[in-house]
Amino acid sequence: MRAWIKATAVPAIMLLALATSRAEEQTEPPAPERSALDAEVQGLRREVVDLNRDLFMLEEDLLFPASTQIAVFVSMDVGTFFDLDSVQIRIDGKEVSNYLYTAREREALLRGGVQRIWLGNMKAGEHELVAFFTGQGTHERDYKRGATLAIEKGVGARYVELRISDRVRKLQPEFVVRVWE
Amino acid sequence: MNSTQDLADDDRRVGRFVLAITILIVLAAPVMASTAPDFALRSVAGANYRLSEHRGEVVALIFWASWCGDCRRELERFERLRATYAPAGLVVLSVSLDEEPAHAATIAAAAGIDYPVLLDAGKKVSRVYEADRLPLILLIDRNGVIRARYDALDESEEHGLLVRLRDLIDE
Repeated sequence: MRAWIKATAVPAIMLLALATSRAEEQTEPPAPERSALDAEVQGLRREVVDLNRDLFMLEEDLLFPASTQIAVFVSMDVGTFFDLDSVQIRIDGKEVSNYLYTAREREALLRGGVQRIWLGNMKAGEHELVAFFTGQGTHERDYKRGATLAIEKGVGARYVELRISDRVRKLQPEFVVRVWE
Repeated sequence: MNSTQDLADDDRRVGRFVLAITILIVLAAPVMASTAPDFALRSVAGANYRLSEHRGEVVALIFWASWCGDCRRELERFERLRATYAPAGLVVLSVSLDEEPAHAATIAAAAGIDYPVLLDAGKKVSRVYEADRLPLILLIDRNGVIRARYDALDESEEHGLLVRLRDLIDE
């Protein structure tokens, strides 16, 4: 229902803005009036973008209230010793995300991008997050590593970072899971 | 008098706005409903592919399996189409439902195809796309909307497919 409203309301408003601009183009008013109309259409378009953003935030607030929200992010530093293929996340033994990375996504992470891989809800209390990283290590060898983190979920939202970096001294990748305070 | 007229004008404007929104929602709903569901799958060659990364291109998506008699003909047909229309923005992705990647690789090699063969052994993607008959061919436009759906093609359908494909490329 929520997706349907969003999927139809936003394009509908955008189409309306477009139709309004088209209709205005057809009547061809005098130049000063036209520039005023253009400004009005631009304003309407801006409002549509703002409305879309507000809808998105409202959706997240409703589905993932701050009191139970947990978000997991993936970042990558250098990546000389590890070619990321997929990340699987399990929380309290239950798989919540299994993400396959394309070449373009890997490139984005290597350029400093941070990906929100999962957003969900968690009750207050102790939980266990396990992340499995699959890919290729040095010499194109298949590589799979797991990292575990005990999370104490309190009242506020929790943000967890899965960080892949290079341990140069050991010529191996390093996987760090940590909670952002 | 003027203020009464202004109020009536406002009412008419609001009425028109509500009517326009209602019409647009009704018109937009089926278009949004046929948006191709996104997926990421591993290919026989090892690379991963995500459908949404091909927004802006026309995508031909073929569901097939090594045990399906008509599928090989379609794989070959789309290799010819890819060779012709790839410079114009056609991308062909095939999704094999084989449980053994080797079976898919053998048929793909025999058919001489040069586009990705994605593996959906778990049938997660094919279930979403309701691929209950093989082959299943989908044409997806540059905005990610499914615009045509075909089974195995006969001669007359092939002509229709070509016309449709050219139209999508020209859009």
